[in-house]
Amino acid sequence: MLSALRLALAIAAKDIRAELRSKTALLSALVFAALVLVVFNFARDPTILSPADLAPSVLWVTFALAAMLALNRAFTIERENAALDGLLLAPVPREALFLGKLVANLAFVGTVELVTLPLFTLFFGVSLWEVLPGIIAVTALATIGFVAVGTIFSAMAVRTRFAELMLPVLLLPFMVPPLIGAVQVTSRLLAGRPLSEMLGWLRLLALYDIVFVTLCTLAFAAVVDE
Amino acid sequence: MTGSSVSLEGARRIVRRGLGLSAVGVAGLAGVYLLALNFTPVEARQGLAQKIFYVHVPAAWSALLAFSLVGIASMLYLWLQDPRLDRFAAASAEVGVAFSGVMLTTGPIWARPIWGTWWTWDARLTLTLFLFFLFVGYLALRAAVHDPVERARFSAVVGILGMLLVPFIHLSVYLFRTLHPQPIVLKPSAPSLPPEMLRTLLISTAVFTLIYLGFVTARYGLALAEEIREEGRDAG
Amino acid sequence: MLVEPPMNGGYLIAAYTVTAVILVGYWVRLWRKATKSGGGKGKM
Repeated sequence: MLSALRLALAIAAKDIRAELRSKTALLSALVFAALVLVVFNFARDPTILSPADLAPSVLWVTFALAAMLALNRAFTIERENAALDGLLLAPVPREALFLGKLVANLAFVGTVELVTLPLFTLFFGVSLWEVLPGIIAVTALATIGFVAVGTIFSAMAVRTRFAELMLPVLLLPFMVPPLIGAVQVTSRLLAGRPLSEMLGWLRLLALYDIVFVTLCTLAFAAVVDE
Repeated sequence: MTGSSVSLEGARRIVRRGLGLSAVGVAGLAGVYLLALNFTPVEARQGLAQKIFYVHVPAAWSALLAFSLVGIASMLYLWLQDPRLDRFAAASAEVGVAFSGVMLTTGPIWARPIWGTWWTWDARLTLTLFLFFLFVGYLALRAAVHDPVERARFSAVVGILGMLLVPFIHLSVYLFRTLHPQPIVLKPSAPSLPPEMLRTLLISTAVFTLIYLGFVTARYGLALAEEIREEGRDAG
Repeated sequence: MLVEPPMNGGYLIAAYTVTAVILVGYWVRLWRKATKSGGGKGKM
């Protein structure tokens, strides 16, 4: 069990190091997120919709889109380098392989989210400082959910003909419960509502994570094995 | 490998059986219409439009049935690796799209006079919308994968994940609804239906189930026939 | 006092027609595929 975990972390570290070396994907995702925020800002009329009303939805749509870019990239690079095939030949337990990929993807998406948050504060004039722990918690919970499903789907999509289209088509329905929960919690956090109003949604997010991380870990073998 | 020792003629027989069964079902649909229009009371406050209920609810049931069977067949396939299960799942998914289509068209047509709006994010409509997207994604994935075994495995994973998504969608809608109750123009049908309405609903549900079974059988047979033909082409 | 039910029969006709069109249409699609003599794409 412990060796499997260590293996997963080693796989994750390898992916993260590879990404840090090239940096291009990370930078593109960040620029993309910034652009989305800018577009949303100009797309709304400030006299009709206050920033606070729209802010949570904008934030999460941005995160969702950036996450899909990141997930696509992750496996495309693998496919180009045939790196995955090498890994698969080794007697690596598929669960560890999945968890490693998950951690690497989380690191990537998490970085994009971390950098996007200050931009968000700046463009939308909302203050996150007082509720920062809550924001970080809900971001972590929701992101784990859709990145888990995204990791297994991108492994599949990369083997299909229309990989770039296939991933969103498959993934978007699965992103909805985490996104709804995240937007609901975020908007309540920003409005200074008490924790009791968010508990139902937080439980939904946590349950989603538990169910889908487990399921995707177990199902990964069916996807990558011949 | 088709995984079965059925001949092309055997597959064609399956198709004919399915077509026959569903034809009976579709004829039954005409009977349901007659029943609903002439032999079922009109709901006083909602008027004639309430009778859409008699196709909308059974269609929802069929779509959900189709979807659940895709999920169950997917689980069984990953366990047993029987290509018949995969073929069945794919058939059920395609038929599910048809029933979801009925749901998603009759839903707004029903909602407009009753709720005053074309779309409402209530549990049933939202869930069907998601089933529709999941079906479409499932079928798109199948179309994009060449190798039959890989296609079967990938589809099975999506089928199982999709089946598990449904309770979460339901939960999300429930949590959302308790905070944002819908504006009601006319109250929809009360849970305790008068006996004639219940009878019509049950008959309609039976008819829709029959149509589902017929369609799935025919679709399954068509896929089997195509696979046998392809095998013959490759071998010949 | 008798209350007149709303005149919304048009919606009913629309819904019943659409349902029939979709279901019969799908049946026809299956039937066409079945009567194509070989070489048809029934693969899923």
